[in-house]
Amino acid sequence: MIEINNITKKYSKEVVLDVLKLDIPDGQTFGLVGNNGAGKTTLFSCLLDLIKPTTGKINNNGIDVRQSEEWKKFTTAFLDESFLIGYLLPEEYFYFIGELRGLRKKEIDNFLLEFEEFFNGEIIGKKKYLRDLSKGNQKKAGIVAALIGEPQVVILDEPFANLDPSTQIRLKKIIKDLSSKGTTVLVSSHDLQDVTEVCKRIVLLEKGKVINDINTSKKTLSDLESYFKG
Amino acid sequence: MFFKFFSLRWKSFIRGEDIGVNIMTKIFKWFWLVYFAFMAPLLGFITTFVIKEQGIEDPFLFLNKNLIYVLIYLVVIRYFIQKVPVISIRPLLLSPIPKSKIVRYALNKTIFSFYNVVVILYLITLNGTLLKEGLETYNLIGWNLMLLSLIYITNYLNFLLNNKDKLLYSFGAVLASIKALEYYSIFDFTHYTEPLFYAFYTDPFLSAAPLCFLIYLYLHVFKFFRKGLYIDSGLRPKIETSDVENFEWADRFGDMAVFIKNDLRLIKRSKRARGTVLGGAFFLLYGFIFYYQDDLWPEWMQFFGYMFASGGFLFMFGSFVPSWDSQYYKLMMCQNIPYIDYIKSKWLLVVLVTIISTILGCIIYSFIGLNAICAVLAGGLYNIGANGYLTLWAGAYTKTPIDLNSAQNPFGDTKAINMKTLLISIPQMVLPIVVFSICNSYFDYLTGCAAVASIGILGVLLKDVVFELIVKAYKTEKYSTLKAYSKN
Repeated sequence: MIEINNITKKYSKEVVLDVLKLDIPDGQTFGLVGNNGAGKTTLFSCLLDLIKPTTGKINNNGIDVRQSEEWKKFTTAFLDESFLIGYLLPEEYFYFIGELRGLRKKEIDNFLLEFEEFFNGEIIGKKKYLRDLSKGNQKKAGIVAALIGEPQVVILDEPFANLDPSTQIRLKKIIKDLSSKGTTVLVSSHDLQDVTEVCKRIVLLEKGKVINDINTSKKTLSDLESYFKG
Repeated sequence: MFFKFFSLRWKSFIRGEDIGVNIMTKIFKWFWLVYFAFMAPLLGFITTFVIKEQGIEDPFLFLNKNLIYVLIYLVVIRYFIQKVPVISIRPLLLSPIPKSKIVRYALNKTIFSFYNVVVILYLITLNGTLLKEGLETYNLIGWNLMLLSLIYITNYLNFLLNNKDKLLYSFGAVLASIKALEYYSIFDFTHYTEPLFYAFYTDPFLSAAPLCFLIYLYLHVFKFFRKGLYIDSGLRPKIETSDVENFEWADRFGDMAVFIKNDLRLIKRSKRARGTVLGGAFFLLYGFIFYYQDDLWPEWMQFFGYMFASGGFLFMFGSFVPSWDSQYYKLMMCQNIPYIDYIKSKWLLVVLVTIISTILGCIIYSFIGLNAICAVLAGGLYNIGANGYLTLWAGAYTKTPIDLNSAQNPFGDTKAINMKTLLISIPQMVLPIVVFSICNSYFDYLTGCAAVASIGILGVLLKDVVFELIVKAYKTEKYSTLKAYSKN
């Protein structure tokens, strides 16, 4: 369970995030939508203790993320390319992350086998450093690295952007599988169709505030679309 | 058109993230430009006098004798410093300018590059003094023509040499071996090149040959670039490939191994990191500076030299921790690792390399005597037990992101200097020297070494306490460091 209490973030006088109360129960696939500057990445960054909020407190499974580093044991994330180590081969990157999560090389190799289809033969064994991969392939590597070691909470910022259609479809399946295993998945997206397809609950942010908090139903997509039409 | 380009350039300068640093670097750069523009003609003016003062009768012959070295140096220096203007061509490709014009512009621009202008400035006054020596004007023109052709040949050769590291290293090796053969008087290469260059003076028409070669080379480089003006050939950045490297021998370092392996890969694969570490290796020879003129330097200066011999990696690489990880610092902060392990792994790497440097230093300076060995050892211990912590501690306040993919000059970094890092650097340099000097003047050289070494040993014993303090500093600085690094 992730509890967000009274989180605000101000830069000088501008309020970029102002979330009074938001609880995300275990195993929920949670979608965050909103226009540019709505505060999606800021909220995720606060959750990962990358940004110090001006006020408020975030508990991740009972751990105050600002007081203790224990949440790192069961939480993983891929926000942007600054989560990649450019001078590593994708394999080495997976080994690095995997070893930090206490896995052996063999276990990581087995884990990667599951993603053969997702990688589409473009990641493993290509001898190319991550910095030289295309944006889409970099994203694939980053997302898979965030799934190593059976995390309980996975945070993905804009996972669908830059991916080709086949990969998007495969990614949706991966996220659905995660949720059926009881993993809490937090996803943000600009693409309304993608989130509504994957997430059980969608929160709409605007200028840092929660505007809408809905459980996904058949009507959700058209509701969201009419909202963004303005 | 020109004004448009200029205004773009001006905006990028004035709106840059750190305008203060920008202005300082610009001022610094111009200072050196002006300085060299003044110094070059001055040097040209005094060259003949200086040569004569060495007891050499004919300065002109001497110049011809050493010209070959000057030319090879020119090639090497150009390779490392002079930038080939390839990347900046990209945005011009879609503009309505013929491609051949773009290439010609890029090639012609270098005619007036600083490196060439300085040499010409030097030649002007040099020729003045040569004329005064009684050399013939007409013949001297031929000689100068040859020289200018050769200078521009090295200029355009640089275009072709770009990114061919191996070729250049072999060039350097040839230069070193020629010099060595001459030094040990086995074979004097200049014995043959001296009359060759001199021939251009006695027979000025010969200079048509290098001139023709220059024209040929220019046309060749032109064609080479004209052909390569596609983003998938000539303008494509070089992509390296590699096999998976696991550095299994490093596994013995337990929890730290995974970080140490990563840092090894970083050093191996990032041009920037590699250059820095190579720069650090030169510190091993630092002691020689003070050794060769030992009547000139006080004892504490010599000690300083030996102390630094083992500190190259520490100062060059260590003082940019954690900036080496700046491009993926967010990732590091989200991983399942306590801060203390991360810092300890960096410390361990620095210590390992310092131990190796200390051993190497002891071997290198063993011919000088016991004093030198003890000084290297004491310096090594101080670097491990004190400077290692201090550099890491200062690192908590160093917030300059490093672009690993650029090959910036490792010595010319505008490391953001702030009061805290400056204050921390005082005990790094000043404290051991003060301690040494006091003990040296009251007791003797070896006691001085022992005193400095014992500070180092004390530092090693206090490891856990010190790490707690360092981690505290890193934790409080975490958010502002993350913010600074995201401006990469």
